[in-house]
Amino acid sequence: MDTSGEQSAASHRPSEILDTLKRLGFGAAIAVPDSWLGEILVRVEEEPGIRLVRATHEEEALAIACGSRLGGVRTAMFVQNAGLLSMGAGMVSLAQRYQFPLLMLVSYRGTVDDPVFYHVPKGRVTEPVLKGIGLPYAVADRGRPIGPQVEGAATYAEEASCPFALLLSQEDVQW
Amino acid sequence: MVSDARPSRADYYRALAKTLPADALVVTSLGNASYLWAVVRHAPENFYFEDAMGLALPLALGLAIAQPTRRVVVVEGDGALMMHMGSLVTVGAVAPSNLTVLLIQNGVHAASGGQALTNPGLDLAQLARAAGIAHAKNVATPEALASEMGTASAGDGSQFLVLSTKPDVEVVRPPIALDPVMTKHRFMSAIGAPRYIPTMFGGGRLERA
Repeated sequence: MDTSGEQSAASHRPSEILDTLKRLGFGAAIAVPDSWLGEILVRVEEEPGIRLVRATHEEEALAIACGSRLGGVRTAMFVQNAGLLSMGAGMVSLAQRYQFPLLMLVSYRGTVDDPVFYHVPKGRVTEPVLKGIGLPYAVADRGRPIGPQVEGAATYAEEASCPFALLLSQEDVQW
Repeated sequence: MVSDARPSRADYYRALAKTLPADALVVTSLGNASYLWAVVRHAPENFYFEDAMGLALPLALGLAIAQPTRRVVVVEGDGALMMHMGSLVTVGAVAPSNLTVLLIQNGVHAASGGQALTNPGLDLAQLARAAGIAHAKNVATPEALASEMGTASAGDGSQFLVLSTKPDVEVVRPPIALDPVMTKHRFMSAIGAPRYIPTMFGGGRLERA
């Protein structure tokens, strides 16, 4: 059994997400925050090897991410699921049409585990909308370490040449 | 019909082609912004938009960040800018000195047939300055554009030039195939972007050739 300190560090899931991005060579993260994402974005911003861009809107963030990946930089996005709903046109006519590999790390609001009632309308349509626009995704499994799930999503995006959304719970992403 | 004294998109494009730095990367918005640029100066370092109206400017911003040693020139329209006005704020905040924005202000949605804009007469250079882009100017002639192209890269933020332009609603036939995926691969190959090596080959990373 590992020491409790190592256990504790290894089980801090937001740290695992950040460590995985660094290990895989991500050089840019494009973001629109929500309450769960606030602190991890500060941590990303402090990383010398990752350039964080704070966009005004998720569809704009998507286009910035496409440009960054076009320029040869492995690029992740941090957005709320509201952003997946509002970036639909850019997703199909830019990111998917041009086959940009992007890792989308998404705070999945409005599930039964989310205490904030007003996220429910977004939560219940998120997965049907992703299926509708043909955006591959996975819901992160809280019973397994998050790092390998982030790596799997990033690998899928590159090897299938498309954006891939990993839907994250509060404990996955809130620092 | 009163004649329109404003220069055409083609007039500006000819001036741009003569003054474009040799290492420049060019992103063009949908419609004639792309079709005509392919006629005037097709190059592998051009990234042509097929649709995705309003997203050429933010894509160019991401490209300018990823390629800080190359000049990135983006041709965007006034209608497209109005769709994603927030992009101006992000460009103002990030302020990459290697980004030049050429904004075609023709007052209409030219790519879709010339429908009126919500507000065709805005001072877009003033708007850009308010959004944090200090080097924003209104330009009314190709000669002025050529002159401004020579003054960029002062190292203190992005350049934003609003080009007063006569609408062009007749679709230009591009001389090349504008297949989106081909455009992307040609572009990335031309700039020597690292390629992704699949995990099956022990990769899982981007690697330089």
